[in-house]
Amino acid sequence: MADFQASQLSLSIGLRDDATFANFFPGDNGYLLDALRALIEGQGESFQYVYGPQDSGKSHLLQALCHQADAAGLRSVYLPLDELALLSPDLLEGLESLDLVCIDDLNLVAGRAKWETALFHCFNRLRDAGKILVISADAAPAKLGVKLPDLSSRLAWGVTSALHKLDDEQKIAAFKLRARERGLELTDEVARYILHRSPRTLRELFDMLSVLDHASLMAQRKLTIPFVKETLRW
Amino acid sequence: MSLALWQKCLGYLQDELPSQQFNTWIRPLQADTEGQSLKLLAPNRFVLQWVSDKYLTRISELLNELSNGQPPQLILEIGSKRTVSAPEAAAAKPVTPPGVIVRTTPPRPHFIQEPETQVAAEDTAPSLIEAIKPAAPALVSSSPSSGSSPVKTERTVQVDGALKHQSALNPNHTFETFVEGKSNQLARAASRQVAENPGGAYNPLFLYGGVGLGKTHLMHAVGNYLVQQNPNAKVMYLHSERFVADMVKALQLNAINDFKRLYRSVDALLIDDIQFFAGKERSQEEFFHTFNALLEGGQQMILTSDRFPKEISGMEERLKSRFGWGLTVAIDPPELETRVAILKKKADQARVLLSDDAAFFIAQKIRSNVRDLEGALKKVIADSHFRGQPITTDFIRESLRDLFAVQDKQVGIDNIQRTVAEYYSIKVPDLLSKRRSRSVARPRQVAMALAKELTNHSYPEIGDAFGGRDHTTVLHACRKVKELQEENAEIREDYKSLLRALTS
Repeated sequence: MADFQASQLSLSIGLRDDATFANFFPGDNGYLLDALRALIEGQGESFQYVYGPQDSGKSHLLQALCHQADAAGLRSVYLPLDELALLSPDLLEGLESLDLVCIDDLNLVAGRAKWETALFHCFNRLRDAGKILVISADAAPAKLGVKLPDLSSRLAWGVTSALHKLDDEQKIAAFKLRARERGLELTDEVARYILHRSPRTLRELFDMLSVLDHASLMAQRKLTIPFVKETLRW
Repeated sequence: MSLALWQKCLGYLQDELPSQQFNTWIRPLQADTEGQSLKLLAPNRFVLQWVSDKYLTRISELLNELSNGQPPQLILEIGSKRTVSAPEAAAAKPVTPPGVIVRTTPPRPHFIQEPETQVAAEDTAPSLIEAIKPAAPALVSSSPSSGSSPVKTERTVQVDGALKHQSALNPNHTFETFVEGKSNQLARAASRQVAENPGGAYNPLFLYGGVGLGKTHLMHAVGNYLVQQNPNAKVMYLHSERFVADMVKALQLNAINDFKRLYRSVDALLIDDIQFFAGKERSQEEFFHTFNALLEGGQQMILTSDRFPKEISGMEERLKSRFGWGLTVAIDPPELETRVAILKKKADQARVLLSDDAAFFIAQKIRSNVRDLEGALKKVIADSHFRGQPITTDFIRESLRDLFAVQDKQVGIDNIQRTVAEYYSIKVPDLLSKRRSRSVARPRQVAMALAKELTNHSYPEIGDAFGGRDHTTVLHACRKVKELQEENAEIREDYKSLLRALTS
C-alpha cells in the first residue's frame, strides 16, 4: 500500500507525456496534420498512407490520432509492427469492430506472405465496414516491396502523403514545445546546447527530456546549461 | 456504475503503462455492463489473450482498490458493443440496400466451448495464439462477498458472431458508374447479359484480370441490378476469405448444415478473389458442393480471380474445370482514353472540377490500374482542399511529385530489361546481344513491346537501347508479341505478370 501511494505521488507531480497533436511540432507537415485531424471528424478519405524516414514522427502522429479518437468517443487501436511483427498476424482479425485502426511501420512485414495476406483481408473488412485506416511506412506504397499485388494496389488506393523530417531549427522548436507541454521551461540557448551535443534524433531528445525533467524535479532546479551538463555528465 | 469505475481504472492504466502499450492493448477494449458485471470486449482472440496474460492481474487490482474492495465481476470476451454511435450509423446506412440477405446468428449457447479439434488448422503455420490458448475455458467466477481475499477473475471465451454478416452490395458500384473502354468492354457486356438473364447460359460468369481493374465493381453492378429488378432477390456478395471463415466457424459450432443451407438459399452468389481458396482443401471441397447445388438450381454465380482459372495453383482440377463451364472473360488495364474518362467521372462524383488537361496529365503518368488512378486523384483533391488552391497541371505535378518519381523510375528501359531478364532467367547482355536463339529472342521481343507500352521512347530509341537494332525490328517485335498474346495463353500471362511487376 505504501508503494502504491509513493508512485501516485510522483505521478501527480509530473505531467503525462503522451504523444498527442498538442505536442507534435508541425514543421513542414501542417497540411498533413490538418487532413489527419479531419479524419476523426469524419471528413476526407478514410484510408490514409503516411510515409517518411526514421525520426520523422510517424509513431507520434499515429498515437496522437488514437488519442484524438478517444476524445471523440471513437474506439481505436495502435499497432506498432516493430514490436508486433514477431507475433501472429491473427492480431488483425476483427479490427473492423473498432472505429480507427493505425498500423505503424508497415515496411517491417512487407514481403512476408502471411502478414501480407492478413493485411489484405483486414483492409477489405475495414473498407467494407466504412472504418478509418491509417498506415505508416518508411517508403511510398510502390517502393515497399510488397509481393501480394492485391495488397499493393490497395495500399495505393487511399491518400498517400509524405511526412517530412524537421531541420535543426524546427527540432529546437519541437524540443521546446515538448518541454513546455510537460511543464518545463527550456530556453533557446539550453535547447541548442543539448541538440548540438546529442545524437539529434527527436526520440533521443525526448528521452533526454524525461531524464532532465525528473532530475530538475528532484533537485528543485531550473534547466540551465551547468545543470544539464551535470545531469547528463557531459 | 461499473463503467465509471472502468473510466477511473483507465486513467490509472494510462499513467502506469508506456503510452504505446496502452494504445495497443488497452485502448481497443470496449467496456459494457452485464447485470452487475463489468464486461470488457476485445476485438479478437489475440488481444483477449494478451490482455488476459499481461494486464488482467493489474486491472483486477485496480478495480479492487478503486471500488474499496467491492469490485464488480469482470468478464473479458471477444466482441463489440452494438451501440449506434454516430460514425457507425453513418457508415452502416449505405451498405444495406433492400433485398440483401442479413443473416442472423443461428441459435447457440452463450458460452461456447473451444473446439477440441483445430479446424482452423487449414491456415497452416502455427500461430502464437494457438500456442498460448488456454487448455480449457472457464466460466466467470469471482467472490464479491469476501472483499479482502485476492480478487480472482477468470475469463470466458466466446466465439463472436457465428455465420453472421452483412454481405452487402455497394450501391455505388452500378453499370451507370462503370466507365467502359476497350479494355473492359467484353467483361461489361457479359455482366450486363448475366444481370438481365441470371442463371442462364453464362453460369458461372468468371471475371479475371489484374488488381484494380474493376472486377469487383462489375460484380456489384450485376448484384445491384438484380435487386433493382426484383427487390426480393437474395444476392450475396462476399470475399472468398469470408466463405472460408464462415465454414470454419460453422464446423466449430457444429452448424455445417446451417452453413450449407445459407449458401444454397441465395438467388445469386458473388465471390470475389477466388484465388484465395488456393491450398484450402476443405473449403474447396465445400465450395465444390455449393457450386454444384447452385448450378443445378439455376442460381447465378459470379466469380473473380486475378488470373485465368486454369492458372490458379493450389486449386483442385475439378473446380478449375467447372469455373470454365459458363463464360470466362478477361479485364485488361485501361488505355489512356478510358483512364481519362475514369478520372473525369470520379472527379464529378467528388464534385470537383477537373479540366481535360489535368485529367490527361494524370492519366498519362499513371498507367497501371484504376486504384492507382483513384489514389492519385484523391491526393490531388485533398491537397487542393487543404491548401485552398485550384487543380492545375503545375499543382498536380507538385502534389504528385513523389508518386511520379516512383512511376518514372520504374518505366525506364533498363529497368524493363532487368525485369524481363530476371523473369526468363537470362542475362541482360543476352537481351542486347546478337544471339537469335528462341530462348533469347522471345524475351527480347517481349521486353521491346513492354518498352513501347510503358515508356515514351520511340521505336528507333528502343532499338538503340537493345544493342543498336533497327526500328523495324522493334516494330516487328511489338506486332509479334501482340499476335502471340492472342493465340498463346502462356505468353499472355507472362506479359501480364511482367506488366504488373513493372507498374505496381
